Amino acid sequence: MSIPRSMLTNKPVTESVRAATDELFGEDDPPLFAVVSDLNLNGCYDNSALFVTSQKLIAFDEENGIINLFFSQIKTAEVKRMYGNAVFKITTNDGKRTDILRFTYSVAEICDAVANFINHINSGEDIELELDMVRATYKNMRSFCPKCGRKLSNPDANCINCSGKSKVVSKLLIYIKPQLKRIIFSLILSMGSTAMALVPPYVTKIMVDEILPQSNKRLLAITVAALLGVYIVQYILGGCRAYLLRLAGDSMVTDLKKDIYAKAQHLPMSFYDKTSTGSVINRVNSDTAIIQTFMLRVTQEAVVQLFMLVGIVVIMFTMNWKLTLLSLAPVPIVICISKFFGKKIAPMYRRLWRRGTAISGLLADTIPAVRVIKSFTSEKRAVEKFSRYANDFLSESKKASKTATVFPHIITFMITSGSVIIWLVGGTWVIERPEALTLGLLVSFISYTSMFYTPVNFFANLNDSYQNALASAEKILDIINAEPETDFGKGKNKTGLKGKIEFRNVNFSFDRTKRVLTNVSFVINPGDIVGIVGTTGSGKTTLINLLMRFYENYEGEILVDGKNIKDIDLNFYRSQMGFVQQEPMMFRDTIINNIAYSNPNAHVEQVLHAAEIANAHGFISRLPDAYDTMLGERGVGLSGGEKQRISIARAVLKNPGLLIIDEATSAVDSETEKLIQEAIERLIRGRTTIMIAHRLSTLRKANRILVVDKGEIIENGSHEELMALQGKYYKLIQIQSMSEQVQAEIEAENFEMVR
Amino acid sequence: MQLRYIDGPEVRITAYDRIFVNVEFFGGEVLTELEPRRLFPISGLTKYITLLDNEGNERAIIRNLNNLMPESRDAILDCLKEYYMIPRIKRLIKRTEKFKIWMWTVETDRGIYTFEIRNSFTAIKVLHDGRILILDANDNRYEIPDLNKLDKRSIRLILPDV
Repeated sequence: MSIPRSMLTNKPVTESVRAATDELFGEDDPPLFAVVSDLNLNGCYDNSALFVTSQKLIAFDEENGIINLFFSQIKTAEVKRMYGNAVFKITTNDGKRTDILRFTYSVAEICDAVANFINHINSGEDIELELDMVRATYKNMRSFCPKCGRKLSNPDANCINCSGKSKVVSKLLIYIKPQLKRIIFSLILSMGSTAMALVPPYVTKIMVDEILPQSNKRLLAITVAALLGVYIVQYILGGCRAYLLRLAGDSMVTDLKKDIYAKAQHLPMSFYDKTSTGSVINRVNSDTAIIQTFMLRVTQEAVVQLFMLVGIVVIMFTMNWKLTLLSLAPVPIVICISKFFGKKIAPMYRRLWRRGTAISGLLADTIPAVRVIKSFTSEKRAVEKFSRYANDFLSESKKASKTATVFPHIITFMITSGSVIIWLVGGTWVIERPEALTLGLLVSFISYTSMFYTPVNFFANLNDSYQNALASAEKILDIINAEPETDFGKGKNKTGLKGKIEFRNVNFSFDRTKRVLTNVSFVINPGDIVGIVGTTGSGKTTLINLLMRFYENYEGEILVDGKNIKDIDLNFYRSQMGFVQQEPMMFRDTIINNIAYSNPNAHVEQVLHAAEIANAHGFISRLPDAYDTMLGERGVGLSGGEKQRISIARAVLKNPGLLIIDEATSAVDSETEKLIQEAIERLIRGRTTIMIAHRLSTLRKANRILVVDKGEIIENGSHEELMALQGKYYKLIQIQSMSEQVQAEIEAENFEMVR
Repeated sequence: MQLRYIDGPEVRITAYDRIFVNVEFFGGEVLTELEPRRLFPISGLTKYITLLDNEGNERAIIRNLNNLMPESRDAILDCLKEYYMIPRIKRLIKRTEKFKIWMWTVETDRGIYTFEIRNSFTAIKVLHDGRILILDANDNRYEIPDLNKLDKRSIRLILPDV
């Protein structure tokens, strides 16, 4: 039989593959789905595919031919991820391992699903259920915008990139709108001042041709007074205009900054995984300033210069059309050079932006870590690194400035040459035919010519400013256009959480090159205290990240009280959870504000009560400024144990239905440890609690323990059950007990020495 | 805990699979099905090769491949070649942009291919030795071994992003 056209596949099966494999499928066992790959087994770009039926798989690539295997011949199927691509490997019942398909990471998720499908079918699972899982993966895979190809957060989501506002200019215009009144008024002022600016050259003509030859002192005084009046009006209008512009510009850029910051708050964690904080800071500060300058140039200067240009050309034509045409001769050349310049300078500005961002990134990295730098006496190294980055910027800036400065000078030279030609031609006419062109008219014309080239020069240089702004605008729009955290459950299911949590076949990877969680399934009942244990990098924190909805691009389902967490209002959902972090984050604010961060409307006595429960009240009240103590950045001034207790106080004040505690790994002395443990005990009472536990004492409080290893739940039960199992948990506890014993001995020795 | 280093003459390494080797120490100990991986895949191509077992645990580190016996070195190099196989870009045929997504069509040592780059700032890394590493929107990697050896047009197309 031929391969059905409607078969589930990631992309159409090519005709060559179809022709080679059509005859391999029987009527009674049609292909259920296919993975169309773009590599052959040798790693070259080529047509290849893997077809799966209910009983067998068929792999084909044009270089290596066909591999046909029944599931009954297969012991395990697995995906081996390598550095640049991945391979689908089959181990047959005789222990032989065979590569059957090589693929780029674009189809890695589907291949994972196929491997699971084969393994599950072989272990007797229901084929329809397994097929549903595969279908879900294909559906997720197809969640791309058909227009721009951007990955959507959900198959039904609208593409934020193609929502009709993607043009840079239209995106930025919305920031101009609120300032429209100021801008329009400023434009009216501009027209006035431009009109005034056009008067003096004409007055020059009258003076040279009429007033001075007639020696009319009275008329001279009146004309000079009028000229002074014109200048006064021109500069008053100009001053008012500049003030209004400044106001409009500052307001625009403030709105833009606010929007970028607000958007940055709602971006998913995956954005921050790939974007440095330095680059975000650069966008909020430097790029908005560049945009401000450009927007003001466009909305104001450009319009003024256009008025000026038109006004001058009209006056010049009425004075002498022949000389006017002569003056306009260099304009096409100026436009051509401007276009050429734009093409040349644009990539330079992009490179300059990269270098600038690298510097911001370095600053964002090193300044907060200045203690680490000092403690390792690495100041010199840090300075050298910064110098290297700064020199890179300088070298790039030199290249850009060479182009950016040479170009305007070429333009200015051409303008000057234009004036010289006018002097030559016009001067000859004044000498030979004074009746056709008077001296006053020539002087006045020359003034207009030099004025005419100011707007021409402006428009020629506008390209430079435009290219620079475009580079910044692109970076700003990267944030403004970025897909925010999805909230398909907005406004839905806002009923108090009882705390039943269920993970159903959850698979997750930060990127396609490495699986972090594989087939994770478990149920936590309301009121359970669950400890999650495992070695570093086993996937404990990722489990919590998914539950907190920091990442949503996982396969499978996470349910809370039977509802998919993606269908619950995001703000409401997170408001129901308390999160005590491993390394508590403090803000540069007072202690009371740091505790009340979880509930800004809390009464002061509620804050005191929360601090008391968290065993923090005692040490806070002994501080000279007590609750008004101003903490430094990231809580500088407090010990690790103190910060942990403030963090617990925050969670107490929030009073969440569901509590997540990522226990600190850093060792604290026994007394502090006891205070923290007491605080945690009070905090978790009566709440569903999930604890990433590192200490034996914490684990003993849990009535359920999940052991995570290499992204899988390998053990699940009570402390006693898992100890009896003598598996991974048993080993971890043994190691933990030994290290705690050693710690206790060290502390006892220290105590003896001090005493 | 001590890291176990292999300096060279004390082992014989033979291929087990495309990316696995067996290691036989001259003292008699045999480790099977080990996966060689570079500890410095970007900065050190022949030094510090770790050997991982099925569980991903490190069993030994080869200090320098050049100190191994030729057969052993070749066995490791074959595995590394297979594992670290990434297309090397020889020419940039087309570079277009739409909605801030860059589409590159390139000629590589493994054929012609088109891929997307979402954020050129993070996706393109320039190394001090002149190599350029590229990560596409699907997390596939590509390498330009030496920017200056590309044709002028390709350089002109790439320059804004580096």
